[in-house]
Amino acid sequence: MSRSSTPIRRTLMRMIFLSCGVVLLVTSCAFCAYEFLTFRQSSIQQLQILSRAIASNSTAALAFDNPEDAAGVLTAFRADPHIVAAALYDAHGNLFAVYPQGLAVQGLPSHAGEGYTGAGYTFSRTALTGFEPVAEGSKQLGMLFVESDLNAMYARIRLYALIVVLVGGVAVSLAYLISRRLQHRLLQPILALAQTTTAVAERHDYTVRAARTGAYEFDLFTDTFNQMLTQIQESEGKLQSQVSRLNLLQHITHATGERQDLPSIFQVVLRSLEENLPIDFGCLLLHDDVSKTLTVSAVGAGGQDLARQIGLSPGVEVPIDANGLSRCIAGQLVHEPDVEQVQFPFPRRLAAAGLRSVVFAPLIVESQVFGVLVSTRRAAHSFSSGECEFLKQLSEHVALASHQARLHGALQQAYDDLRQSQHTTMQQERLRALGQMASGIAHDINNAISPVSLYTEALLEREPGLSERSRNYLTTIQRAIEDVAGTVSRMREFYRERDSQLTLERVQLNRAVQQVVELTRPRWSDLPQARGAMVDLQTDLADPMPEVMGAEHEIRDALTNLIFNAVDAMPTGGTLRVRTRKTGGADSEARAFIEVTDTGVGMDEDTRRRCLEPFYTTKGERGSGLGLAMVYGMIQRHSAELEIESAAGQGTTVRLSFPAYGSSVVVAPKAQQVIVNRPLRILLVDDDPMLIKSLKDTLQEDGHAITASHGGHQGIEEFSAAAKRGEVFDVVVTDLGMPHVDGRKVAASVKGISPTTPVILLTGWGQRLIAANDAPAHVDKVLAKPPRLHELRAALAELVP
Amino acid sequence: MAVLKGALRLVLFAVAGFMVYPRGLAADTPTEDQVQAVFLYNFSRFVEWPAQTFATPDDPFVIGILGSDPFGARLDEAVRNEQVNGHPLTVRRFHNLAEVDNCQILFVDRSEIARIGQILALLDHRSTLTVSQADGAAQRGVMIQFATENSRIRLRINVESARASGLTISSKLLRPAEIVGKGAKE
Ligand SMILES: Nc1ncnc2c1ncn2[C@@H]1O[C@H](COP(=O)(O)OP(=O)(O)O)[C@@H](O)[C@H]1O
Ligand SMILES: [Mg+2]
Repeated sequence: MSRSSTPIRRTLMRMIFLSCGVVLLVTSCAFCAYEFLTFRQSSIQQLQILSRAIASNSTAALAFDNPEDAAGVLTAFRADPHIVAAALYDAHGNLFAVYPQGLAVQGLPSHAGEGYTGAGYTFSRTALTGFEPVAEGSKQLGMLFVESDLNAMYARIRLYALIVVLVGGVAVSLAYLISRRLQHRLLQPILALAQTTTAVAERHDYTVRAARTGAYEFDLFTDTFNQMLTQIQESEGKLQSQVSRLNLLQHITHATGERQDLPSIFQVVLRSLEENLPIDFGCLLLHDDVSKTLTVSAVGAGGQDLARQIGLSPGVEVPIDANGLSRCIAGQLVHEPDVEQVQFPFPRRLAAAGLRSVVFAPLIVESQVFGVLVSTRRAAHSFSSGECEFLKQLSEHVALASHQARLHGALQQAYDDLRQSQHTTMQQERLRALGQMASGIAHDINNAISPVSLYTEALLEREPGLSERSRNYLTTIQRAIEDVAGTVSRMREFYRERDSQLTLERVQLNRAVQQVVELTRPRWSDLPQARGAMVDLQTDLADPMPEVMGAEHEIRDALTNLIFNAVDAMPTGGTLRVRTRKTGGADSEARAFIEVTDTGVGMDEDTRRRCLEPFYTTKGERGSGLGLAMVYGMIQRHSAELEIESAAGQGTTVRLSFPAYGSSVVVAPKAQQVIVNRPLRILLVDDDPMLIKSLKDTLQEDGHAITASHGGHQGIEEFSAAAKRGEVFDVVVTDLGMPHVDGRKVAASVKGISPTTPVILLTGWGQRLIAANDAPAHVDKVLAKPPRLHELRAALAELVP
Repeated sequence: MAVLKGALRLVLFAVAGFMVYPRGLAADTPTEDQVQAVFLYNFSRFVEWPAQTFATPDDPFVIGILGSDPFGARLDEAVRNEQVNGHPLTVRRFHNLAEVDNCQILFVDRSEIARIGQILALLDHRSTLTVSQADGAAQRGVMIQFATENSRIRLRINVESARASGLTISSKLLRPAEIVGKGAKE
């Protein structure tokens, strides 16, 4: 039995025992009291009878004064062993005889004579004593005193106590047996019911039923209880399905929340419905508000075949029929319990596939229906109202999730754009600062090497009797100067300010590679060497290479980044190979490749997949995660392609592939020819005395008349003074960057005085001006510093024929 | 109140104690004659006379003394106002046999014992209890004889004579007595 049955049992037992016990006790007490009293009475009677007999027998002894006889008579008291003392008194109250013989007289009443009123029997605590008159006829002859102990009574009382205990014991056992029997009948239904309730409470199993026992009112009770259980079971069932639907809703919401793109959201919704609600076929239709059409967007994984069969594959347009779908488009949940009865085309299509119950749930965002969730089952009337409600709620969630996915996409796009532009801006800022600095340095270097270049060229050209050694040295100096100039110009070019719009130019990839390799030398050669690592850089350039259309500086930046990454991947050194090659002929299919290959740590699958993401880096603080992103940006702007081959520990190859621009044009270096100009009057304007001196020296040697002026201001004065004299200079050569009055102003003044006089501008910044061919106003020719003699000659020949 | 009660009880006890002061068994011992007088009277209670003994209910119960009277006034004292079954007790003294009349108990004095045969013959068929203190009286047909043993008076009873006279002697009386004659324990 369960533990809850004990108290009721025990209580019942206790009640029975208590009532039995009380009844028994009262009865026993009454019985004992009665017995006690009657026993007293009978004791007295017995004693009286005996005493009377003996008194009557002792009359003669008294009458004839015979104490011996009296004593003899008294011995008759022996018949009762409880009589402990007896005494006979004569008529005068004097003691006459005692029993038993030799009894101490002190214990006896001293006197009992005629008319003694002590007659009668009294109980004391230990004894029953009595006086009996001794009379013959009417004549009282004396008194008899008897004393009986109460042992008999006490023995009796003990007996009674024993009987009471025995009877009580038997009665209690009987009561126990009987009550057990009765209890069983009474308790059985209660306990059975209790057991059922315990089962219900502990296991939450509402399918159990209490058995009817046919006892008293319990059946009524049991029936009511069972009825209650049935009700609980029903509502429990309802609750259970509600909860499971809620779980499903939660599950779907969770699943959709994890996804950001519409197709996978729709897929997960349909799959969950198919598996868990479940439905037999489900699909999602998207509504185009403009064209008023419904298009199948997704079909549940389990219903693909069926969809194909009834022509509902993704992309198929569904006509909006007048009833069901149009009501749904209007924002209502439409439930068709049996489409057999419906005559519209879409339901008929479903019916043809054996799908009879249909629910259309609208997907509404901001009171716009953008889609319909179609759920179907084969059995007619198989969607309960709870399920319809669930589908409605689900459609709201799906709508919300879709909306969010769209928002998320838009946000992601905006964010990416923002980051891209931020990155670009940052880069531009950095480059602008570097560019400005580089320009300043380049200008100064160009100025500084100009005399060296000029004198070297002049010496080589004209100095008679130059030893072979001198010529060799001078040639080396000239090449070194050329290199310096080239480096400076490349540096300036590299940090040139970015144009906001990409201006495409023809780019020679080989040249770009060579430039970048040279420029990054410190990074791949010097720094690793300092660490004791050795990077072996090999270039393998195809010749000829087709040119490509692009922004050379961007391509160089990208190559720089690839080389940096390769070096980073080889912390203990290795081989870095930069290769160019081409495919295809001169047709439009032709492509030009640059490959950067290292023997470094390589990338695992995950890194390889993500390395193009902006800010993705495995280098922690040292990395920015922008390098490859930038490369990728360049690739996209150039309609180029990017390929990365890598495996962990296997090194990496990054391949850039550009569409080739026409066929390869190999520009043969023009043969240097010495142009001889007629002698000219030249005004030379520069703030650098070294430059003025070297230019003057070399040009004078060509036979020109040189007037040198230090600074723009002086130059303008000189020119106007000469003009006033009528001796206008044939040509003006001026530096661009001068304090106070720069080359532009000089040019403007010159043209203001004499518009036909050509102006040649020398500039340490000049490369760009030259490349863009956008010389400032009033300037006829721009020449880069350091000026080359042959270039100057060519310019003079061109301007002053 | 309780104190008062306790004091009262004490006084009562004291008084009671004084009153019940034992008088002792040995009060002045009565003479032999006195005792015999009382005994004589007592016999009336232990002997049953035939119903026709008395003609009327008012007839006196007569204790007769034959011969010299050893009891004197003491007997009269003892029977004064006494009754036996409603019959008033009287004492009559007979100086000779001729005087002897209707009486229920006849004490035959020692002085008359010589004529006991005559007396008994006279009393034959009369329901008269004969008593005597003379030695051997019982053997000679007197129903009850006083005998002194150890200074106590004992009874000797001739049951046969009594029965012959139609008297029933109570067994109580027989028990302490010595039975004489036929039926006596030898
Ligand atoms: N040549 C390479 N070898 C191995 N891993 C590379 C290589 N190039 C790029 N990676 C991986 O791609 C990540 C992204 O590179 P990148 O965009 O240049 O950022 P950064 O170099 O600042 O980390 C690097 O952190 C690195 O894990
Ligand atoms: Mg990098």
